[in-house]
Amino acid sequence: MIQTNPNTVDYYFHNPDDLPSGISKEEWLNYNNNPNADITKEWLNRLLFFPAEVENYIAGTGVNWYDEVIQKGLRQNYDISLSGGSERAKYYWSLGYTDNEGIIVGDEFSTIRSRLNLDAEITDWLTVGVNTQFANRDESAVAANVEQMLISSPFGSMYNEDGTLKWFPNDYQGGQNPLINHKYQDRLSTTNSLFGVIYSELKLPFGINYRLSYQPRLSFTKDHNFWDSRTINGGRTHINGYGTREDSQMYEWMVDNLIKWNRKIGLHHFDVTLLYNIEKFRNWSSFQSGEDFSPNQNLSFHGLQFSANDVIRNDDNESTGDALMARLNYTLLDKYLLTASLRRDGYSAFGQKNPRATFPALAFAWKIDEEQFFSSNLINNLKLRLSWGINGNREIGRYAALASLSQNLYSNGSQVLVGVFNSSLANPNLVWEKTKAYNVGLDLGILHNRINVTLDAYQMTTLDLLMQRNLPSITGFDNITTNLGELENRGIELGIATENINKERFQWRSNLVFSLNRNKIKRLFGDFEEVEIDGEIVRREVSDISNQWFIGQPIDRVWDYEITGVWQESEAEEAKLYGLSPGDYKAVDVNGDKVYSTLVDKQFIGWRQPRYRIGLRNDFTFLRNFSASIFIRADLGHIGSIDEFKHNDTELYDRRGMRAVPYWTAANPSNKYGSLTASAAPYSGGYNLYFPRSFVRIQDFSVSYKLPAKIIQKGNLTNTRIFGAVRNLYSFDQWEDWDPESGGSPMPRIYSFGLDVTF
Amino acid sequence: MINYKDMKGITNIPLLFLLLVLTACSKDWLKPKPLSFYAPENVYINEEGFEALVVTMSKDIKQEHYNGRSLMVNEYAMSDMAVPGALANAVVKDFPQVLTPAGDGGTHDYPGKLFTHAYNSIRSANVLISRIDEVQWDLEETRNHLLASAYFYRAYWYYRLVNSYGDVPFIGEEITGPKLDFYTHSRWAILDKIQADLEWAVQWLPVSAQPGATTKGAGNHLLAKISLANLDFDKAITAATNVIEGPYALMTARFGQDAGNSGYNVIWDLFRPANINNSANTETIFSVIDRVEDPDGAREVGSFLPQAYNPAWWHAKVRDHSGGAGMVDVGEQYETYKRGNANARLTPYYLYEIWDYQHDLRRSDANWVEWNELLYNNPSSPDFGKPVDRLNFATPADTFQHSFSFPHYKTYYPGQHTAGGNGDIYIFRLAGTYLIRAEAYFWKNELDQAAMDLNRVRERAGALPITANDVTIDFIFDERARELATEEPRHGELIRVSFIMARQNMNGYNLENFSQNNWFFDRVMAKNLFFQINFSWGQQSYRIAPHNALWPIPETVISENTLGIINQNKGYSGTERNVPPLEIIE
Repeated sequence: MIQTNPNTVDYYFHNPDDLPSGISKEEWLNYNNNPNADITKEWLNRLLFFPAEVENYIAGTGVNWYDEVIQKGLRQNYDISLSGGSERAKYYWSLGYTDNEGIIVGDEFSTIRSRLNLDAEITDWLTVGVNTQFANRDESAVAANVEQMLISSPFGSMYNEDGTLKWFPNDYQGGQNPLINHKYQDRLSTTNSLFGVIYSELKLPFGINYRLSYQPRLSFTKDHNFWDSRTINGGRTHINGYGTREDSQMYEWMVDNLIKWNRKIGLHHFDVTLLYNIEKFRNWSSFQSGEDFSPNQNLSFHGLQFSANDVIRNDDNESTGDALMARLNYTLLDKYLLTASLRRDGYSAFGQKNPRATFPALAFAWKIDEEQFFSSNLINNLKLRLSWGINGNREIGRYAALASLSQNLYSNGSQVLVGVFNSSLANPNLVWEKTKAYNVGLDLGILHNRINVTLDAYQMTTLDLLMQRNLPSITGFDNITTNLGELENRGIELGIATENINKERFQWRSNLVFSLNRNKIKRLFGDFEEVEIDGEIVRREVSDISNQWFIGQPIDRVWDYEITGVWQESEAEEAKLYGLSPGDYKAVDVNGDKVYSTLVDKQFIGWRQPRYRIGLRNDFTFLRNFSASIFIRADLGHIGSIDEFKHNDTELYDRRGMRAVPYWTAANPSNKYGSLTASAAPYSGGYNLYFPRSFVRIQDFSVSYKLPAKIIQKGNLTNTRIFGAVRNLYSFDQWEDWDPESGGSPMPRIYSFGLDVTF
Repeated sequence: MINYKDMKGITNIPLLFLLLVLTACSKDWLKPKPLSFYAPENVYINEEGFEALVVTMSKDIKQEHYNGRSLMVNEYAMSDMAVPGALANAVVKDFPQVLTPAGDGGTHDYPGKLFTHAYNSIRSANVLISRIDEVQWDLEETRNHLLASAYFYRAYWYYRLVNSYGDVPFIGEEITGPKLDFYTHSRWAILDKIQADLEWAVQWLPVSAQPGATTKGAGNHLLAKISLANLDFDKAITAATNVIEGPYALMTARFGQDAGNSGYNVIWDLFRPANINNSANTETIFSVIDRVEDPDGAREVGSFLPQAYNPAWWHAKVRDHSGGAGMVDVGEQYETYKRGNANARLTPYYLYEIWDYQHDLRRSDANWVEWNELLYNNPSSPDFGKPVDRLNFATPADTFQHSFSFPHYKTYYPGQHTAGGNGDIYIFRLAGTYLIRAEAYFWKNELDQAAMDLNRVRERAGALPITANDVTIDFIFDERARELATEEPRHGELIRVSFIMARQNMNGYNLENFSQNNWFFDRVMAKNLFFQINFSWGQQSYRIAPHNALWPIPETVISENTLGIINQNKGYSGTERNVPPLEIIE
C-alpha cells in the first residue's frame, strides 16, 4: 500500500495569501520546524522552487517559452521556366528557388533547383537527348527544441549574468534552455544533387524502337557542426568545444535497354516492350569529430585538427541490381484489351542464395460501351477491368542478409583497444517480398461524362513480408530482418467525379474519393503450439507477442489493456487488491483474478491505421475569371497512444513544466487523467493510454483570379493568375496531442499568396 | 546532310553498349560487398579477431559500475547495507508492492538490468566458444588462452545471474537465428558447469596481463567464489590459496599518488583511482579501466560513485537557521563531494554500528566525512562556513537523503562530471580472496584457519585481531561490509550464503520453501533500520518480503519465449506455467 508522507499536513503547500479561514499565517508558518522569515519565500521553499525561480517569482520576471520558441514562418517560392525549339531540336529550362521557414524558431530550409532538357533529332532514325536536374539544398538551420520548451519553467531565467544563454533556466539539470543550439551551434548542411538521363533512340526496321538510356544520380552532402563552450554539448558533454564533419557522396546509375514494337495488323493491335536493366549504387561517407580545442575555438568546424580527441568513422555502401522484363499490350477491335508481362528482378541485398524473383502480371479490360449490344442514353462510358499480378518489394538494408560486427573501444591504461561484437544476425534465407494482387475495376461515365465513377476492389496477398522481427532479449540481439509469412489485404476504392453545374458564368465540379482497406495476418513463422480453449486442445500457429503480430488480426491491431478510467477514493479497497491506489489508472481485468497479466488481460482494443479514408474536393469557377477550390479529407476509425498522461516518469514534476492537464487529485477526482504518481508496476508488460485519432480536416482552400485576356495581351502575356490559399484551415478531432495526423508534432496552418505569369 | 559513312560509326556504339551490358548478367553481379563493417567470416579467422571479441567481454564488466544506478549500486540498494534513497516515486522502496516482473517502476530496474547486461555479454563469450575450433591453430596455447578467457567471462556473468535470479536458462553456444525455445536450468547445474569450465580455464590464463585483462589470479578468485557457492569448500580453499600464493600481496605501506601526504593512510591510497593500476599496487587482481584521457568511445561519462553513495548534501532542503537554502551546487566543497544523491542510501548498520572507531583505518577520520563536517557553502547564507546543524531541517526525516556520514575514501573521484569523475574501479582484490577463504574454512568448521585469514585483512587495516570463537557467518559478513563496501555484489553474496544454508538444511532453512524463508531476508530485517521501521520517504515506505530475495525474471523474456517455458520465481505473478528446471547441461 502506497502511503502519503505522514509528516505533511493539509494546506502545507497552499498559498499563504489564500488560506481558508481558521488557519492563520502564523500557524501555517509553524508547520515547518525552521520556517523562513519571509512568508513568500517559505511557501516557495516548500514547493521546492529552485533559487533562480524564487528570485524570478518575487521580482515578477520570467520567460514565456512558447513565445520564444514558436513563430510565424514565411515561405517563399519562385519558379521560372522556358521551353521551345525547332523541328529537330527542343529544349526546356527551368529555375526555381524556395525558402521556407517553419513555425518553430530557427526551422528553415532553402533550395535552388534547375532543370535542363534537350531533345535532338540527328537523323530520321536517331534521336538523342538529355534530361538533367540539379538541386542545391541548404538545411543549415538549427531549430529551437520543442520538447525542452514544454519542460521549461516560466520562472526560469533566459540569460546568465554575462549575457550568454543560461543552460538550465531554472537551475534544474534536466531542463535545458530550448534556444541554446539554435543560437550558438554553427552548422553548415548542404546537399548538391545532379540527376540525369542520357538517352538515344534508334528506329530500327519492322517498326522496332530501341532506346538505350544511362541514368546517373549524384549527390554530395556536407554536414558540418560546431558547438562551442557556450552550448551544453560543447561545454559539458564535451569540454572546450565539440565539432563534427560529415561528408558523403552518392553515385548511383542505371542502364536501361528498351525495345519497343508497335504494330497494327487488321483488327489487332500489338504493343511489345522488352527491357533489360542493370543498376548500381555506391556511397562513401566520412565522419570526423573532435573535442577539446586549443588554444581557442574560433576556427569552429574548419579546424578539427586542433582538437585533443578525435574520432574517425567511415561508412561506404554498395549494392547492385538487375531486371529483365517483357510486356505485351494487345488490343482487339479497340474493345478488348489485354496486357501480359513477366519480370525477373535481382537485388544484391538478399544475399547469394535467393537474389532474384519472378513477377508475372496479367490484365484484361473490356470497353463494354463499345459493344453492339450495349446502348444506353444514360451511360456513355463503361469499362470493366480485371487484373492479376505479382509485384515485389525489396526495401531492406543493403546488407540485411549478412551478419555484422560492431566496434567497441576499451583501454588498458596505456593504449586504446579495439573490440568487436556481433551486432546483427545473418539471414541467408532472405527472399523478395511478393504481393499477389487481384483487382476488379469499373469505370463508368454517366450523362456524357457528367458523372464519372471509378470503382476498384482488390485483394492482395503478400507473402514473405520483409520485416524486422524482434528477438527475445535473452539472445543478446534486438532484431533480425526476416520474411514474415502471409498478409492478406483487401479493400475498395471509389472515386466519383461530377459536374454539378455547368453554366457559362458558374461551374461547380466535385470529386469524392473513398477508400477502405482491411489487412489480416494469415501466417507468421510457422511455429505451432497446442493450447486448451474451452476444454479442447487446439493446435494453432503461435502469434508473435513482442512484435504484436497476431494470427488473424491486422498488422496495425492494438493489443493492450483496456483502460476504463481512474481509481477513485470510493474504490480504494478494490484498487488495493490490484496493488494500486486512488489516482492510478484502472483497466479491465478479463478473468477477475486481480492481477493485470499480459497474456490474459490484454485485449484487442482498436487499430492504429485509419479504417476509412474520405476525400472531397469541390471546384468552382465563377464570374468568368475567378475559381475557388476546397478540399476536405477525413481519416476515421483509428486510435493512437499518448504517453504524456501516464505520469510515471522518473522525474518529479516539481522541477519542470508539463502540459496543463486536470490530473487526478483527491480534490479533483478526474476519471480521465491519472494522478502525477500513477503507478505502472502492477501492469505486467506496461500499459498505454489511447485516444481516438479520427479527424476531418479542411485541408486546402484556395481562390484564384485569372486576368482577362484583354488586359494581359498588352504586355505580351498569354496567361496571368493571382491566387491565395489556406492549407490546414481547420481540423475537427478529439486528439489530445499536437495533431492527429502527425501524432506528436505541431501542424502549421499555411496562408499563401502567389502570382503565376506566362509569356 | 550527314554522311552515311559517319553514321556507321555512330550505329556501332549503341550495339557495343548493349553487348557490354549483357555480359554483366551473372550471379557475381548481385553479390553483396560489405565495405565498412566486418562480417564474422572475415574476422573470426585468427588470433587478432578473437582477441577483439575478448576486448568486448572485458569492457562489458564495466556495466557493473559507471552509472548512477549501476548493477553494483542495485546490489547495495536491496541489502542489509543500503536502500534506494532517492525521493521520486519511480524509485522503488516498497519492494513487495512495486517489484514485479514488469519492472520496479523506475531506473533501478531490478528485473531487467542485470538480466539484459549479463546475457548480452554471454552472447559474445558463446560466439568465441562456438567458433574457436573453426580455425587451424599453430599453437595450442593461443587457442587455449582465448577459450579460457571466454570461459572466465561467461562464468562471471552466470555467477551473477544465479545469485540474483536463482534458476535461469543456460545458453552455451552462439545463437545464429531466431530462437524462441529456451528452458530454465537449475542453479546447481549451472554452477557445476561454470565451475568445471573455470577449473580447465585457470590452467591457461596468464599469470600477469595488462590492466583490465583477465589473469590466472582473477580466474582462481572467481573459481573460489563459484566453488564456495557450489558447496565445494575444499576446491574453494585450493583456488583461493592459488591466488594468495600468486604475485599478490596486501598493501601495507603508503604508495602512489598521495604517498607523501602524512594526513592520509594506506587505506586512502588503496582507493585513489589513479592507484588502482599503479605498478606498486600488488593487491589488484582484476579491475575495469576508465581514464579521462581516453577517446570518447573508450571512456565513460563518469564514475557515478559519489552520486550513488554520498548524501544529497547540496540540496535546497539543507536549510540554514533562517530557513533558506544553506547549500549551493558550485564551489570547492561541491567539486570534492560532488552531487550526491544517495541512490543507495547506506544504513546506520554500515555507517555507524559495525566499527571499532579507535582501531580501524577503514573508518578513520581521514577517510570518512561525518555529516557535521560538511559546511554551509552558500555565500549568501548567514551561516556560510559553519557546519551543518540538523535542527535547521524542515523535518528530521529530511536527513535521510540529505545528511549522513559517508565513506569519502571510496567515493572520491575528482574530475569534471558532477556525478563523479573518470577513474578505474576494483572488481577483485586480494583482501576479498582472504575473506572468501575464511568463509570456506568457516563452512568446514576450521574456525582457527578462518580467524587467521580474517585477521590478515583486519590487521592491515589496523583493527584488533579476533579469535576462532568470534567467527560466525554474521561476523564474516560484517567484515565483508567493512572491507568491501561498494565493491562486491552484496545482495548476490547474501543469496549465495542463503543457498548454502538452505541446501544443508541449516538454521531451519531449506530449498523447498526458500521463497518464504531464507537467510537473506532474516539478515536484512535484522540489520537494515529502514526496512525494520518501514521508514516513509516520498510516496512509499521501505518494505521487503522473503520472496524478494530472488528478483523476478523480466516478464517480456518469458512472454517472448513462445516455443519454450522460462520459469518465474516463486512469489511473483506468472509461475503457473513453471516446469521443473533442467538438471543437465551438455
